[in-house]
Amino acid sequence: MANEADQNFNTEEAAVDTGINAEAEVYGNTAGNYGQGIAEKRNAYSDSAEYIEPQVENYAREAYEHKFSLTDQQIKDLSKKKISKGELKRQSVLLIISAIFVAYGVLFYYLPLAGWIMAFQNFKLKTGLLHSKFVGFDKFKFMFEFDMFSHALETSGSIFTAFKTWVNNVVFVRTIRNTLGMGILNLVTTFVMAIVFAILLNEVKNKLGKKLVQTISYLPHFLSWIIVCGIVHDSLSSTGIVNDLLRWFHIVDDSYNFFAHPLWFWPIVAFSNVWKETGWNAIIYLAAITAIDPSLYEAAEIDGAGRWGKIRYITLPGITPTIMILLVMNIGNIINAGFEVQYLLGNGLVQDVSQTIDIYVLKWGVGQNDYSLGTAAGIFKSVVAILLIVISNNVAKKMGQESLF
Amino acid sequence: MKMKKFIALGMVGMLSAATLVGCDKGGTTTVIDDGGDTGTTVVDDGGDEGSTSATTEKEYSEDEIINWTMFSAMPGSEINDGNDIQEIIAKKTGVRVKETWLTGQTAAEAVGSILASGDLPTFIDGGDGMKELYEADALVAWDPYIEKYPNLKELYTDYEWDMFRQEDGKIYWANVFNNTYGESKATGHNDEAFWIQVRVLEWAGYPEVKTMDEYFDLLEKYYAENKSFTDAEGNTINIIPYTILCDDWRYFCLENAGQFLDGYPNDGSVIVDPKTMKIVDYNTTPTSKKYFAKLNEEYNKGIVDKEFATQTYDEYIAKLSTGAVLGMVDQNWDFNYTVTPIFATSGLADLGCEYVPLGLVVDGVTEQRWHTYGDTVNQSSGCAVTTSCEDPDRAFQFLNDILNQDIHDLRYWGVEGVDYLVDEDGLYYRTQEMRDKLNDTSYKASHVCNYSYMPQWLGTSRDGKNAMQPAEQASEFYAGLSEPLANCFKAYNAGGYPDMIGSVEEDVNATHPWFPMWSWSNELNNDTPGGVAWGKMGETKHKWLPKVVMASDFEKEWASYMDAYSACKPEDFLNEAQGVLDDRMAAYEATK
Amino acid sequence: MKTKKDEFALNYGSHGAEQELSAEEKRTLKRLAHKHTRRMDAWGWAFVICNTIFLLIFTIITLYPVINTVAYSFNDGLDAVRGGIYLWPRKFSLESYSKVLNIQGFVVGAKITVLRTLLGTFTSLIANALLAFVISRKRFLFRSSLSLFWVITMYVNGGMIPVMLLFKYLHLTGTFWVYIVPGMISAFNVMVLRTYMEDLPDELEESAQLDGAGYITIFIKIISPLCKPVYATIALFVAVWQWNSWFDAMLYNRMKSEYTTLQYELMKLLNSVMQQSGNANQGDTSSKQVTPVSVRSAATVVTMVPIICVYPFLQRYFVTGLTIGGVKG
Repeated sequence: MANEADQNFNTEEAAVDTGINAEAEVYGNTAGNYGQGIAEKRNAYSDSAEYIEPQVENYAREAYEHKFSLTDQQIKDLSKKKISKGELKRQSVLLIISAIFVAYGVLFYYLPLAGWIMAFQNFKLKTGLLHSKFVGFDKFKFMFEFDMFSHALETSGSIFTAFKTWVNNVVFVRTIRNTLGMGILNLVTTFVMAIVFAILLNEVKNKLGKKLVQTISYLPHFLSWIIVCGIVHDSLSSTGIVNDLLRWFHIVDDSYNFFAHPLWFWPIVAFSNVWKETGWNAIIYLAAITAIDPSLYEAAEIDGAGRWGKIRYITLPGITPTIMILLVMNIGNIINAGFEVQYLLGNGLVQDVSQTIDIYVLKWGVGQNDYSLGTAAGIFKSVVAILLIVISNNVAKKMGQESLF
Repeated sequence: MKMKKFIALGMVGMLSAATLVGCDKGGTTTVIDDGGDTGTTVVDDGGDEGSTSATTEKEYSEDEIINWTMFSAMPGSEINDGNDIQEIIAKKTGVRVKETWLTGQTAAEAVGSILASGDLPTFIDGGDGMKELYEADALVAWDPYIEKYPNLKELYTDYEWDMFRQEDGKIYWANVFNNTYGESKATGHNDEAFWIQVRVLEWAGYPEVKTMDEYFDLLEKYYAENKSFTDAEGNTINIIPYTILCDDWRYFCLENAGQFLDGYPNDGSVIVDPKTMKIVDYNTTPTSKKYFAKLNEEYNKGIVDKEFATQTYDEYIAKLSTGAVLGMVDQNWDFNYTVTPIFATSGLADLGCEYVPLGLVVDGVTEQRWHTYGDTVNQSSGCAVTTSCEDPDRAFQFLNDILNQDIHDLRYWGVEGVDYLVDEDGLYYRTQEMRDKLNDTSYKASHVCNYSYMPQWLGTSRDGKNAMQPAEQASEFYAGLSEPLANCFKAYNAGGYPDMIGSVEEDVNATHPWFPMWSWSNELNNDTPGGVAWGKMGETKHKWLPKVVMASDFEKEWASYMDAYSACKPEDFLNEAQGVLDDRMAAYEATK
Repeated sequence: MKTKKDEFALNYGSHGAEQELSAEEKRTLKRLAHKHTRRMDAWGWAFVICNTIFLLIFTIITLYPVINTVAYSFNDGLDAVRGGIYLWPRKFSLESYSKVLNIQGFVVGAKITVLRTLLGTFTSLIANALLAFVISRKRFLFRSSLSLFWVITMYVNGGMIPVMLLFKYLHLTGTFWVYIVPGMISAFNVMVLRTYMEDLPDELEESAQLDGAGYITIFIKIISPLCKPVYATIALFVAVWQWNSWFDAMLYNRMKSEYTTLQYELMKLLNSVMQQSGNANQGDTSSKQVTPVSVRSAATVVTMVPIICVYPFLQRYFVTGLTIGGVKG
């Protein structure tokens, strides 16, 4: 009887578009869980017609903390707790599974790292890993040209100037700068866009429209970079739509050549990334949003939260763990800014800002049969990536957020 | 590792017509089929002048045919299984080779991964990765088989064969291109040039254009009167008088004209002064500076495409294809194979949009060598047999067999009556219908089998009349010409593109025994200081040359460029080049 | 902290015994909901309008490259080289599609690709989920170190040659299994799964354990049903990755045409435009023709269509909500 009432309550509720986009049965059951609380809260402050933000905030926080129930501190406490024999026995199945996976990981990911030895050799296929000549850190010296730095330091006497000369003159160091620059810019733009897009899409109540927009948005992911870059190039060329618009609005008289100016290169790359990947990246967040208990919205609504309030206090906190995990993982990836986009959009005039580490490896390592150089650059990238994630992971931990390990 | 059939071997000896063929130990056959009088052959092939009918007697059955593989480190089109001509060749030779091509990797990467996987094809052309294959002991030496198989021996002179020898003194591969049998039939200019649209020459009354200044004068004058034109479909197209491609590695269209303008041939990376036998860096010659200064002047006049520095290859081809571009420097293969068919179908050919090459120089230079006469031997790569082949002798025999005239004709001309016809003089020709059919890629995939990275000939067929490859057959060449182009050739009294460009006619191998230096510089890597310098020079030029052309103050920009250039230590590179040149000359002197 | 939490739990009844709402209370709730919805209308409408406009623009911008590709794919190949095609083909032709669909190895490639996509997605999803389940157990002894072990794999690799030597040694080269076994675990996917699993209420596990369920039962019966949205997401990621893979087919099965994949066959068709380095001086002229843009586009469309067809079946999991609460109650 009560359940039926729930159902009714729920259906009518949906009919008035409360903003909860859930299936009827699901909804009804949750109402059972939280209904009482809602009823009590009502007595406390919901009757007031005024929108009281702090209360909503408190409420949402409470709900949020409740759902993600264990804080890092608690987890730590747990792990410090003495493991009883029973516990160990119970965990044995977990241990066995982990052992299998670790064996797999060692075999397919860690064993090939023996190849890193190449970075310290002058590797030739003929002699192989075992008999190639060891050259120590020569490959790293070749890349970094440290003597350039020390020479500049001697002549100028200032570390800052020496560093500047070094970055500007040593190709590899310049590619590091470009890689990090583009990596960070891409990370920020694609990340923010994907989250914003997922949240805004979630606010669309029309099911068909929502599905349609979502489907269209992820399609560019399947276009190869060569196609996307071709379109970007076309659009920005002298006869492209962007220059047409600029001329139309009399912002420029003659067409502007975007690809001739180093300043524009990074933003164009970032835009291309956003264009191609926003919809695809948003899928994870959309999935995470579905995990948010609709009753939280319901309750927030009763507390007078508007759209923004719900986004800010329910949706965002709800997907924060996902955001944090992806953020930490992607921070490790900023050193992998890729090469395809830069390769396809770059040209001689902007090569100082367009070349990434991967392009360097392609040109100087792979392109010249120098496996050792490629490996050395790979090691450098791995070290930087791991440093980055360890740092960001610890920062996340400190902030009391979800962390990777 | 691979499943292969050995059954064929035993059968062969019994079935072959013993009187006309030579029998080998393995029981395989060598069919020497010259198909008639050769007359101009470089080397005596020692073959019987037997009748062609003898060779058709032996047909291998499916059980006897060996299936082999080939990998070429170049992008290419795969042919279908059961390809008509491949089957005919398989029946005649007992070998069927499945070809695979480079996909999404560099040649060196591909070779590296093939070696690491241990899954070697039977035949390989490793391109830039050839040396790696040799170093990994993955190749079978040609030496014993060169003597054994006359068609192979015939490919090169002894001196040329020696050029292929590696450090251990053996030959592991043979380049398959640029090899002329008998008299050259070349009608094309498959090299670099200043190209110009036929209509510009026609408009000016077919003037003599000899120097760079005259060339740009002509473009300026034409452009002054023709800012746009209407194409065959009625669209108005704005004319771009001159464009320069400098997308990635294709920036050679901008950088290397200096060597030609000075009258030197395409040594690629450097100029070799034949008088002093010294290496000269063409990047810093007064002529090069003059050339870039001219480009700069024309850029500021609006003659050079404003977007040249940032256009991609696709955009460049698109511009050319609309007929908008009057002239540019490029290699023929880099644009013409795409642009010519588009001109033909879109009606632009009839408007005179097709390009002819001009052999330009700077003032004071009289001879030029834009067109290379004689065969360029590129000893850095070629066709090889790998150690994965269970029967190398049979493999080399196959390479020998496909050079037989009948099979060579099958490879390049196709099946008589289907792909070409023979007139009463014995000359091969194609009808337009046949040509159209052969332009269809899906028909090509199921019918044509070139084995294009295996030994082959250019020049004159062994019948003394036809060309080895249809592209060089005079009748085929003239049949394909549009009216404006034919008029242009007539006006300049040129029999083909080489006459049009008018380079010095000389056998490059006789006059330039070291030629070409690029076969060395293409192989450079980080192992030597010269190789490092070479890489850096390339990057610096790619960045600075467009800047120099677009500069408002040329002298200042040129000076900055020179500073950046000398910081790359080009002398390391040039010294190594000198060393290589000296070695090559010493080797040449030794054979004299 | 703890007390607050307990109080909260008590208040909201999720820990305690379920208490039914009276009809009166429900009516009040409904009234309240009405009131608030109405009150938000002005802002709500503004938001809806802005949001719609934003998404509309975004959709148009993202749709454009797709339409452009489709337009090119239906255009005559040679004509397309001239560029200037935007929303509609200029010279209609199906030639590019016939080229793509008639390539040698299309059938074999399609078969292998479908097979590896199905099998690969299935095995990979199970493996990733199981690993994620282990890592997400908050009481698990090696939780943190196991995470670190896998996270590191995302950022290191031994390079092409050592990996190839390993595969050769393991006899994976030249087999179908090279598509399935080595890429089975993706640390990225594991971490995404883990995050989702960790967000599930711990009470689920606790109560199941009290009932005597082991970890495997908990994984299959309790956690997995709740993870449908994230499973769908990961399945999509893996499937798309498998579907689009071609490099492994080339590296490990270059000479084995029976294990070729569709994408590799298409890649071969396109390779002359993908050419990244060239030799200006090669005497070779035979294979230099550029694959027309239209063929490239047609190949892209052919690749995309199956994914677009399968997508709606997965989409319902992450567009419309499936909630934990629903199963929890």
